[in-house]
Amino acid sequence: MKPFYFMLLLLATALASLAMFTEDAIAIPAFTRANNVECSTCHTIFPELNEYGEAFLKNGYVYFGKGKKKAAEKSKAAPAAVVVKPAAASAGGAVVQGDGNADLLNKLKAGMMISSDAPGTAAAPAQKAEADGSNTAAAAGGEPKSEGIALSGIPEQLPISFSANFHGTYNSKAVNELDFSTQSLKLNAGGNFKEKVGFFGTYLLYTEQPPPATANTSTLPTNGKSDIGELFVIWRHAFDTPFNIKVGRLQPKLGLWKANNKLSTTNSYDTYAYTVGSSFFKAEQPQDAVEANIIIANRLFMAGGVVNRKNQNTKEYYVHTSVKIGGADYLVNEPEIDLNKEETILDYLTLTVGGYGYVGSNGNTLLMPQNANDFYRAGVDIDLLYKLFRLKLSGVIGNDDNPAIPSSAPPVKSYVAAVEGEYSIQQNLIASLRFEYQDDAYNIIRRYIPTLAYNPIENMKVVAEYKHESGHAYISNKEVDNKIGTLGVTFSF
Amino acid sequence: MKRYVTLAALVISLSAYSIADARIKVSGRGAKMNFSAEGIPEMYKPSFQIMQEKCIKCHTMERTVIAIQTGRAPITGQPFNKQAVKAYGIKMLRKPNSDMNKKEIRDVVVLLNYFLDENAK
Repeated sequence: MKPFYFMLLLLATALASLAMFTEDAIAIPAFTRANNVECSTCHTIFPELNEYGEAFLKNGYVYFGKGKKKAAEKSKAAPAAVVVKPAAASAGGAVVQGDGNADLLNKLKAGMMISSDAPGTAAAPAQKAEADGSNTAAAAGGEPKSEGIALSGIPEQLPISFSANFHGTYNSKAVNELDFSTQSLKLNAGGNFKEKVGFFGTYLLYTEQPPPATANTSTLPTNGKSDIGELFVIWRHAFDTPFNIKVGRLQPKLGLWKANNKLSTTNSYDTYAYTVGSSFFKAEQPQDAVEANIIIANRLFMAGGVVNRKNQNTKEYYVHTSVKIGGADYLVNEPEIDLNKEETILDYLTLTVGGYGYVGSNGNTLLMPQNANDFYRAGVDIDLLYKLFRLKLSGVIGNDDNPAIPSSAPPVKSYVAAVEGEYSIQQNLIASLRFEYQDDAYNIIRRYIPTLAYNPIENMKVVAEYKHESGHAYISNKEVDNKIGTLGVTFSF
Repeated sequence: MKRYVTLAALVISLSAYSIADARIKVSGRGAKMNFSAEGIPEMYKPSFQIMQEKCIKCHTMERTVIAIQTGRAPITGQPFNKQAVKAYGIKMLRKPNSDMNKKEIRDVVVLLNYFLDENAK
C-alpha cells in the first residue's frame, strides 16, 4: 500500500474512532472554563475564530456583555423587540421588561450552572445557601468568589490551558517519507483582572528537534525550542477613554487574522509569513511592542503601534484599520433584521475589510550598520461570510531596500496574495481550499492547499491537509515542486 | 391506605417540576431541565417542538429556562428581555449550521416572548 493511501486509511480510522466519543464532548480550556461557554461560541474549529471570538479578542479578553458596557451603546444597538404577529402571543411586544433578577440568577448559577447535575430543584441550592448563610452565593450583583480571590483580582479558575499536536507527514522527497512526530506542547494563559486589564500569553514548552542525520536512528528527538510566543497585558479603556493600550510581546495588529486564526495546523497565510532574502521579518512574528487600539462607532477598528528591536535605535511603526459591514458589530450587538420579512441575502452577509501598513528597519548594527534594510509592507484583507461559506482574501506588497543583510543587494519589491474558500459541511467539519501566490524577487511560488478539519470533540481536532508547492527559485535557478500531505491531531486541555 | 397512595402520587408528581418559579412550569433538573409541555398552549406547541429539537444542538434547555426565570442571560448576566430575545434569535439565524430558517426563528422568538410575559404575571 502506498504511504499516501495508508495516510488516508489512518485518517478514516482516526475520524471513525473519534466520532464514537462525540456524545460526551466537554470543552475545558481556559476561556471556556472562565466564561462557562462552549469552544464553538468563539471558534469555528479552534483556533480559527468566528466573529464572536474576534470581538472577544478586541474586547481585551473580557466576555462580551459582561462588565461596564455603556448603556448608550446597548440601547443604540439592541434591536427592537419582535412585534409578534399572533395577537395573543404577547401583550405589547415592544415593552422592555426591566433588568431581570440578577440576584436570582446568581443563586441559580451557584447551585446549577457550575454543577448542572446536582440533585435538587432549581431553587434548592440557592435556598440552602441562604439558609446556612454561606458565601457560596454571591453578594448582590456579583458572582460567587472568595474574598481573597476577589481582592487579588485573580480569575476564579486558573487561567491556563495546554495545547499539543501530533503530525503524520508524507513527503516523497524526504528520507523518512512517512514521518510521525510529536510536534509541540504549548502553555496558554489568558483572561482579565477585574475587567480592567486583560492578559494573554503563550509559552512553547516543547517543539520537536529531530536528531542530526549523523546520529543513530534510535535517538529520540529532543526539545528544540522553549520560548515565549506572546506575553502581553491590555489596559482596557485607559484613563476611561475608548483606547486600549497593549504592552508586551505581541503580534502587531496588521492583518485581519492572527497567525493561528486558521484551520490549517501547518500552513500560515503566506501574506503574513513570507520573508524576503535574509531579512527575518514576517508580519505574523511577535514583537516587543506598544499598541493602542480603539473601536469607533461599533464597526470601525483602528490600531497603531511601535515596535522595539534590540541593538537598534530605530523604532518600527504600524497601523491597522478595519471596518465591518453586516453581522454582529465589534461589541457583539446583532444587526437589525426584521424577522417578519422574507429572507434576503443581506440577512446573512458579513463583510470585513482591513488594511495595514508597517515600516521598519533591520540588519546588524554592529557588523554592517551601513547595510541596514529599510522595508515596508502594505496589505489588504477581506473576510466575507455568507451562511456556510466563508471567503478570505489577503494581499500584500512589500519593499526591502537591502534584503541581503548583512551584505548588500539592490532593493526588491514583493507581491504576495492568498485566497481561501471555506465551507462548513457540519458545525464540526469544515473544508477549505487555499491558493497562494508569492513573488519576492527570490522565488515565484504557487501553493494549492486543500484542508479538511474535523472537530470530534470540542477541544480536539483532526486536520488533513495537502500542500502542492510549485514555482521557480531565481537564485539557484531551480524549479520548485513539493507535495506534502499532513495529518495533524491537536488537542487542548 | 388509599389516602397515603394518593398523597404519595401527588408528591411524586410535584417532584417532577422545579419550583424555582411557579409561573412557568419546568420539568427535570440540571442539564435535563426543560419547560413543561403541559403548561404550553396548543398554538405554541409546534414552536416548542422546534426549540426542543434545534436549540439543544449547542446548549441545554436549562440555559433557556434560567434566562426566562431570572430575566438574565446566564452566561453574560445581561438582561434577557424581548429585545434580547430578538437579538439571540438573529444570532441563531446567522449562525452557520444552526439549521433554522427565518420562520422557525420567528416562531421560537414569539414563544420566548410568551414565556417572558407569563413569567411577568
